[in-house]
Amino acid sequence: MMMASMVANGNRDGQALVLTGVDPETCMIVFKNHWAQVVKILEKHDPLRTTNHLVSGLGSIGLSGSHVRFGGPVPGDEASAVQNYVEHMLFLLMEEDAGQAGAMGPILEFVVMENVMERLFLWSLRRQFTDDMKLEQLKMYEMIVGQARQPLLHHKPVLRPLMMLLSSCSGTPTPRVEAELVLLLNQLCCVLAKDPSVLELFFHTSEDQGATNFLIFSLLIPFIHREGQVGQQARDALLLIMSLSAENQRVAQHIAENTYFCPVLATGLSGLYSSLPTKLEVSSEEWHCLHREDWLQMPALVQFLNSLEFCNAVIQVAHPSIRDQLVNYIYNGFLVPVLAPALHKLTLEEVMTTTAYLDLFLRSVSEPALLQTFLTFILLHRHENVHILDTLVSRVNTPFQLGTVSLALFRTLIGLYCEDVMLQLILRYLVPCNHMMLSQRRVVKERDCYSVSAAKILALTPSCCSPEHSPPPLRQLDSILWSKGNESKTEESCLEDGSGHSCIIGSEIYLDVSYLHYLYDARLGISSCIRACRVWSAPYDGEDPPPDEYQASLELEWDDSYDAGPPANAETTAAERPAQPLAPEPPKHIQALRRTATMLVKGSYIEESDFQDDVMVYNLVAKKDVRDTLDGRRSSQETESKGSETESQLNDNGHGFADSSREVQEVPLSNGLSLPLQRATVEVGSDTERSKEVKENIADHNSKVQSPTATDIGDELVAQYEELIRTLGGGEVGAGTEGREPFQNPIVTPTEEDEMDFGSFSVDTPEVDKHAPSLFGTKLRSGSARSQPLPFTGPFVSVLLSRLENMLENSVHVNLLVTGILAQLAAYPQPLLRSFLLNTNMVFQPSVRSLYQVLASLKNQIEQLASTRKDFPELITSAQHCLLARESSLIGHGKTMSSPPQLKTISMARTEVFATVLFTEFLKELAAIAQEHSILSHIPMEE
Amino acid sequence: MNLNPFWSMSTNTGRKRSDSEEQSVQQIAEQQQRASPSRPSFGKKQLPTIPKNTAPITKPASPATTTQSINGTHASYGPFYLEYSLLAEFTLVIKQKLPGIYVQPSYKSALMWFGVIFIRHGLYQDGVFKFTVYIPDNYPDGECPRVVFDIPVFHPLVDPVSGELDVRRAFTKWRRNHNHIWQVLMYARTVFYKINTMEPLNPEAAVLYDKDVQLFKSKVVESVKLCNSHLFDQPKIDDPYAISFSPWNPAVHDEAKERMFTHKRRPEDHHKGLQVSGLSWVKPGSTQPFSKDENSQQS
Repeated sequence: MMMASMVANGNRDGQALVLTGVDPETCMIVFKNHWAQVVKILEKHDPLRTTNHLVSGLGSIGLSGSHVRFGGPVPGDEASAVQNYVEHMLFLLMEEDAGQAGAMGPILEFVVMENVMERLFLWSLRRQFTDDMKLEQLKMYEMIVGQARQPLLHHKPVLRPLMMLLSSCSGTPTPRVEAELVLLLNQLCCVLAKDPSVLELFFHTSEDQGATNFLIFSLLIPFIHREGQVGQQARDALLLIMSLSAENQRVAQHIAENTYFCPVLATGLSGLYSSLPTKLEVSSEEWHCLHREDWLQMPALVQFLNSLEFCNAVIQVAHPSIRDQLVNYIYNGFLVPVLAPALHKLTLEEVMTTTAYLDLFLRSVSEPALLQTFLTFILLHRHENVHILDTLVSRVNTPFQLGTVSLALFRTLIGLYCEDVMLQLILRYLVPCNHMMLSQRRVVKERDCYSVSAAKILALTPSCCSPEHSPPPLRQLDSILWSKGNESKTEESCLEDGSGHSCIIGSEIYLDVSYLHYLYDARLGISSCIRACRVWSAPYDGEDPPPDEYQASLELEWDDSYDAGPPANAETTAAERPAQPLAPEPPKHIQALRRTATMLVKGSYIEESDFQDDVMVYNLVAKKDVRDTLDGRRSSQETESKGSETESQLNDNGHGFADSSREVQEVPLSNGLSLPLQRATVEVGSDTERSKEVKENIADHNSKVQSPTATDIGDELVAQYEELIRTLGGGEVGAGTEGREPFQNPIVTPTEEDEMDFGSFSVDTPEVDKHAPSLFGTKLRSGSARSQPLPFTGPFVSVLLSRLENMLENSVHVNLLVTGILAQLAAYPQPLLRSFLLNTNMVFQPSVRSLYQVLASLKNQIEQLASTRKDFPELITSAQHCLLARESSLIGHGKTMSSPPQLKTISMARTEVFATVLFTEFLKELAAIAQEHSILSHIPMEE
Repeated sequence: MNLNPFWSMSTNTGRKRSDSEEQSVQQIAEQQQRASPSRPSFGKKQLPTIPKNTAPITKPASPATTTQSINGTHASYGPFYLEYSLLAEFTLVIKQKLPGIYVQPSYKSALMWFGVIFIRHGLYQDGVFKFTVYIPDNYPDGECPRVVFDIPVFHPLVDPVSGELDVRRAFTKWRRNHNHIWQVLMYARTVFYKINTMEPLNPEAAVLYDKDVQLFKSKVVESVKLCNSHLFDQPKIDDPYAISFSPWNPAVHDEAKERMFTHKRRPEDHHKGLQVSGLSWVKPGSTQPFSKDENSQQS
């Protein structure tokens, strides 16, 4: 015990001092003397009394750690005498230097010859092998392993008893022993890392014992997911072994083939995940992602992240075979079986929570191979035949917090600068160049030399916000003295060098200084994006990848996405029904969301006619939303009872909206309605004239539709759908009576359709459409050119722009996210993306909605709003103050308390006012990005 | 925050062949300050000393309203557009890698560029001619930029008094999007290799070239000598970014030369060590995500 305590205190300075200057021979003599004393006592209690038998005796002891005793109990004084001697001996051993040319020092040689360590181990076994005894032994090794001046582990007589000790500690040690064991293992791994030659010995020694395992490693595995210091030390130690494995094929092979390391790690993630809260307590409506402050409050999440971080580290350092195995287990053992269902849970909060977790995980993972695993899951995995990505995209459009959290997830995804992500999300829709007029292809790469686009974007600044017309808010008070030659007249005359060449740009022009910051940020954003995208496979400039080749592959891909797929998963439907008592028909809200997206997203893809049109979709969705909001307000009183019904239902889900009556009305509608409306869009005939008519009809129709109540939304969906079909299609589409059928009879046997047609349809169609097969017949008959270019810029762009279009109704934080994501996208240097988002001169297909168009329509809305409200300018000013205060409170955390009372003067509920301010700032941000592109994106990057 | 990103933009691109794009604007801004410590505050953000309203009053034709009404452009941003147009022009120049021509925008004005042209063969071989490019302030809607040699070179198209090169004959009308400043520079180089004597600014040179090439040649040699003898003169225009030459000084230049040469080799090693921030598993030529071969996992 004394030795142990001394070791624990690490107090050997005194001893070292004593030993300095003492000559090795003296030390040797002292050592031998001590040993002689020890041996006397040992032999006295050794029933066999010979060292020869000792070795064979070992086998029979069985290293069980149970109480093995020979003869009677060892008297206390003798035990402590041994302890004293051993303590001195170990110090002598530790302090001994290696002999010449790496030979053993004399003491070590003696230790090896006399099998000192093994006999001491047996001695401790012989006495009661209690935890104390184990601790003593563990500490003894920890000391000599860590501090000896010559390598000890190379020698079997030292190594073997160590291994025996370690295996005696396996099983279920007590916490005290665990801590000491892990510490020693950690130390051994450090030695291994420094001197990999020891590694082979560890293997051999294990083999001697008939064990094929790599004991140190196996002993550490149970601690992988342990929290606290023990877990951390174990993980550190394992990481040392992992980096060894990168160099050592044998270790790698052993770990990959003979241990459960990877499965334990991956399934551990699943286990830890299951203990995470399924619903997050969301602090405010503004909340949209898990920050450090958030998850530090959640021990379960901290533990999960520790393990995830460990996986990340393992993948970083381990041998490729281990890395691949681990990544596989994470994919098949965690992401697919655990995370995928979690992303499709029943309630919005659960789904939102999972989304927030996924976002956090993506932000926590840094190793490309692990990121790849997560991204493969998101981009390629299909849950119930829908790609995870599509599901996530569809959720962006939910006005619930789920929508915000989903936006935050996409912000993370886009911030990865990952080609695969950008390809799936946007670029693959742009590569075929169908979204632009054919003549515009050559414009894609053009640079905007004269900042024309920036000027056009800034010209959208609402008059109420223009620096000339409104009293400048705090930040815009700054101005810059532009004139470069204004410093002095002499300067000027010096420039007038006799030849009449003057270089003075006009004198004082006041500039919006905040714009400088936007330029600066734009420059940083674009240059880091350009740097990051150097690893991409193609420039995406409208030539590479070649637009024409890609057309085919895109179709093919859609094809195999939908070859199999029951219309709806019966189980899910059943399971979801109770959660959605209001809907007797299939549309449950999750499913509806998914469907909305699937429709929004792929619906257009079914379309053959050139009518195929996402403008339409937006118009519909946007108008719906606006109208719904208005209707919701108007009818909130008359439908109070029903409204509260909905509200309570939503509150059951834990939402607790402050202003729920309005939003509640809005939600199911905006999600539900876009579905039938979209489909209607799809069904419409091909001539453009009719498209106008259709829009009008829909607009008319929209204005006629009364605010629905929550309970009959399901019915209303169908009713509206029918109505639409009637108004739109007339006789030709002529499915007025059939309109309802698809919902009630989702399964139509293929034989009802022309075989060929149905075949091609089922291959191309998202599952949703199978609810309405009768309509597809019509459509397929009318449409022929499947190969015709489809002007569609993809679901993500669609939902993003439609959220932007609703800017005036969005809350500040949603707008910040939406504009932030668009700015992120705009910073990408790929000409296809850049030209689509920023080139205001580009001519797109009539059906393609551009960012500029959305911005222009927002400007009009704002101007209209401003003209009808006299107090608008003042409101704008207070909103600007409010936002500035918010910003400074975010920058200087402490200042939150001192934020000015202006905060109170305008309610955040005045979304249109805040949106106007944000809109103006967003224009500057975009213009700055456009300007920086004109310089940065064209500098050859090879240098 | 950065002090004046606005100005440092031009200085950044102004640094010839600077391959360290990474270098932050901040750094450059600092450099710039170090380079010209005595410079007064112009170019720096100045908090309004003059009340905002006075500007439009003193300038009746307030650019704000006029510009906006003319082309829908915000006047407050007009200077930004000009500055960036010129920067874009400058990046085009860099991209062209014009042989023997070096330019550098002035520190004081983006509308004035300093340049030097090295003639490597032909009649003007070994000539090193410094010049200044003057860009009209209504660029790109104005006249074509002017090129004025510091010392009037003996050349039919160079005014023997002002040193101005007759650029306009090549760019009778300056067309935005069509004409670029690098073309002017290219033209300035070409005139020394392909002599044109039509409508000369220096009739003497033109006549000599047509009538007595030998005498023309010797005059040219003289002129080149004269120009080169003034090489180490102080720049004609006092500007921190004016191009100036100094005799070879091993203490200063050896190191710089060394750096230039090692720089060329570096990018490769540099790239490997650099943690790449972007990700891609797309096989070149494919447009499928995770199509790279090494990506055999997770099937």
